[in-house]
Amino acid sequence: MKMVRRVAFNLFAWSVVGLVAFPLIWMVITSVKPQFELFRIPPTFLPETVTFEHYWTLIYDTPFLKYMRNSLLIAFGTTLVVIVVATLGAHSLVRFRYPGRERLAQLVLFTYLLPSVVLVLPLYLLMVWVGIANSLFSLVVAYTTFALPYALWLLRSFMQGIPDDLEAAALVDGATRMEAFIDVILPQALPGIISTSLFTFILAWNEYLFALVLVNTDEARPLTTGVMNMLISSFNIEWSLLMAASVMMSLPLVIIFAFLSSYLTRGFGAGGVKG
Amino acid sequence: MSDIVFSGVRKAFGSAIALHGLDLTIRSGEFVSLLGPSGCGKTTTLRMLAGLEFPTQGTISIGSRVVNDVPPGKRDIAMVFQSYALYPHMSVAENIAYPLKKRGMPRAERETRVKAAAETLQLGALLQRKPRQLSGGQQQRVALGRALVRDPVAFLLDEPLSNLDAKLRAHMRAELIELHRSLGKTFVYVTHDQLEAMTMSDRIAVMNEGVLQQFATPKEVYEAPANTFVATFIGSPSMNMFEGALADGVFSHPALRVPVTPEASGHGSRLLLGVRPEDMTLGAGPLNGTIRVVEPSGHETIVLLDFAGTTVTVRAPPDMPLGIGSVLACDVKSSRLHLFDAVSGLRIAARFGAALPPA
Repeated sequence: MKMVRRVAFNLFAWSVVGLVAFPLIWMVITSVKPQFELFRIPPTFLPETVTFEHYWTLIYDTPFLKYMRNSLLIAFGTTLVVIVVATLGAHSLVRFRYPGRERLAQLVLFTYLLPSVVLVLPLYLLMVWVGIANSLFSLVVAYTTFALPYALWLLRSFMQGIPDDLEAAALVDGATRMEAFIDVILPQALPGIISTSLFTFILAWNEYLFALVLVNTDEARPLTTGVMNMLISSFNIEWSLLMAASVMMSLPLVIIFAFLSSYLTRGFGAGGVKG
Repeated sequence: MSDIVFSGVRKAFGSAIALHGLDLTIRSGEFVSLLGPSGCGKTTTLRMLAGLEFPTQGTISIGSRVVNDVPPGKRDIAMVFQSYALYPHMSVAENIAYPLKKRGMPRAERETRVKAAAETLQLGALLQRKPRQLSGGQQQRVALGRALVRDPVAFLLDEPLSNLDAKLRAHMRAELIELHRSLGKTFVYVTHDQLEAMTMSDRIAVMNEGVLQQFATPKEVYEAPANTFVATFIGSPSMNMFEGALADGVFSHPALRVPVTPEASGHGSRLLLGVRPEDMTLGAGPLNGTIRVVEPSGHETIVLLDFAGTTVTVRAPPDMPLGIGSVLACDVKSSRLHLFDAVSGLRIAARFGAALPPA
């Protein structure tokens, strides 16, 4: 009886997983099928011949690698800026007493009251006016504006869990405020910082609308708009190349998750402080 | 030479006043307790001395140096927190070494000092552990170790024993007394537990609602409380108060009369006569109380008596027959009575005669 239930449960769980993962599996399979096999009726599930030609085409004959580089720079740049500003900002919102502190924290969330479509044009004009339009930097700035409020709140709640006494003890022990922050607060907030970085990175990696409006040169185009621009036109969609590009776009996220998910769970487990 | 002096120190948090003008001198090498109920300003006082809060007014000096603007790390004081505040990601050895590291002490010397401190506190076997792998008592020792490794001018302790169980607390109390004696350093100890303050201190600063009530030796605080707050806060069960008036050299309350000679004039007409539970004798005497409640605790029995509407607590021997509702004859030790002004609450020095039966 117990055995039957376990088998049934496993069957159910795996069928859900299969259902959710099917588009991904289909994407990978499609990317290694030769072009002529794609539109065959009835369709084949496993490819009759496996080919990596689409990958080679993307890498050697298109600006794919350039887009990849742009995406990596933008995503890492945004994550770096957001984390530095948000950790210091959250620390200030938690530890320092100044008038309007709570109001300020709430005000930060006003960014999310307006749909991004409304914000993107003024932002574009602003970028032109400042003179950074059409650059990687402009995207880093734009993504920071909408990732920062959320990161600030996420880190703030993490930091509220760190006892005040820890920082006080470090100060009495002879640390400066900055040293106390680095030696004591940062290690305690690390799980929070990692999950916030993850969130910010994914956001910057997947963003489409701002990239579409703010940037129109291959020099600064990230993968999302770059691949779209390159492979999808009104008359034709390069399915094979699109699937190969999609697989390669997903890889960095898969790798990051594979590394950090174990760190995340370990970090959360170690977070307890007695007292 | 390194006295700690508070002069006119006021602290306000917005409109809430935590401390109203504190003047206090702690002599070098002294063990001083700041004692009072929660919210009395004792922790604020300690945190200001540590440099974690800033006085709104007044000055704080350590030795001859005014430290109002000196950051905590440069005041040459060490602090033990109620929560211990051990750095969770560092080992015991790293925790103890942290203040030395921040002072730029070379590694070799650091290690020697950490070892010596660990030896003193019997932490030698635990140096590589993380704080969460230690018991409460061990964490407490690490916190102490982090304080004494630096050899500071003064140790500030903020309710360091309140998270320990009763048995360990008694043990650590004895260890702290021992430590104070062997180090000869100034200890400033914040507590709301009068037993800790009475047993450990050279002097006690009793505080209430941001005002220093009395600063004196434990014996003096117990035997000559400066006002009704100190009188009822120190001692358990607390001091009994009879409210009455003085006429023709006799204090009268509906249930007792006592001849009183005040040593100074200028007090009001409504007075309070204070008697500690341990200063009442039972079985014979001119006073009669009705037994209301009997609380046996093994080595003694606490009895609540009704004296013409005033409830009075007394200590009775465990074998004394006590029937609820029956009348018990008592007397007071006239050498151990206290007199206070009922309005201002201040102590009135006086000599007392033997108690008389009520008129």
